[in-house]
Amino acid sequence: MAHLTDEQRRLGPQSPWELFTAYTAVTLQAFGGALSHIERMVVQKKGWLTSQEFLGLYGLSQVLPGPTGIGFAVLMGDRYFGLRGAVAALAGFLLVPAVGVLALAALFQHWQHVPQVQGALHGMGAAAVGLIIHTAWRLSRNLHGDHVAIAVAALAFLAVGVLRVPVSLVMLTLGVGSVAWAWHVVGRGR
Amino acid sequence: MSGFLPASTLGAPELLALFVHFLSLSVFATGGAMALASDMHRYVVDDHHYISHVQFVNSIALAQAAPGPNILFVTVMGWQIGGLPGALATTLGLSLPALVFPMLLSRASRMAQFDRLIRALKRGLGPLALGLMAATCYLLVRQAPGGWMGPALIAATVVLLFTTPLPPVALIAGAGAIGALLPW
Repeated sequence: MAHLTDEQRRLGPQSPWELFTAYTAVTLQAFGGALSHIERMVVQKKGWLTSQEFLGLYGLSQVLPGPTGIGFAVLMGDRYFGLRGAVAALAGFLLVPAVGVLALAALFQHWQHVPQVQGALHGMGAAAVGLIIHTAWRLSRNLHGDHVAIAVAALAFLAVGVLRVPVSLVMLTLGVGSVAWAWHVVGRGR
Repeated sequence: MSGFLPASTLGAPELLALFVHFLSLSVFATGGAMALASDMHRYVVDDHHYISHVQFVNSIALAQAAPGPNILFVTVMGWQIGGLPGALATTLGLSLPALVFPMLLSRASRMAQFDRLIRALKRGLGPLALGLMAATCYLLVRQAPGGWMGPALIAATVVLLFTTPLPPVALIAGAGAIGALLPW
């Protein structure tokens, strides 16, 4: 649990249950990426965090292992109520939407022998791929012509995408090397 | 109602291995869930033949179409592999390691150069996440269904995302409607 000021405690969620319900509500409104919705809930609507606090916590969850949304929910919950809060926020993030998406999957599976249903799934799958390409494209702008970063991205693509090397192996070699190099560059103040 | 709930075809050892694989992915990998999709595909489609490529892509499509975080595609995937136990194995495998983060952080934050570490992690892992996402894109585009129809719909989605303010869910719904009419 983080060390919070009385003011931060007063502004924050008052119980793990409030975290759970708020997370459930926001995640159910989120189609295609929950982050902007979560920012609106946490900063603007509830006022639990200031913009700076949100960016700091979000930045941490980006560098922590695993999916960013999960990391952020856990850090957010832990900040106020320790492990109980982390479990509450994580459950709010995943539980009800998981039931919803499984119901949708069951529905599609039930009608999958209808050609139009399989066609609709093919179409939705194509659009989903387009969304992923769009996200990757936007991320690539963060490279800013940095030659080492471009080489690392290209090597990661080659290893996992073409040579089918397990991600864990790539992280232990290329990942460690890349972070070590970044540590060196950051230390020189660049 | 047959086929509504897939029976768990996996035994306990396979379920445990599935759980451990997703657990290790979550511990090692960086970036969003989509960065991990290529490795998941290798495990559940190519190596173990638990589900087909089409079922794999269906999981992603359904999770993006439904409200909630996109990482729920691992829940749909697990459910297609082995019913409720399968869904729990993949979902918990991916999310449980996160619960130890706060402990790690409170220790690391006492380090003298904590800020430098965070900045180095951000800068060093960013390009990797991008490379992994590109690998996922490559996999999904290469195996897109329907001859020219799949790639054409993918390209149209990307163009619309860059040129219009249409929300993702509208594009998925639209592509679903078009897909229902096309002769795949």
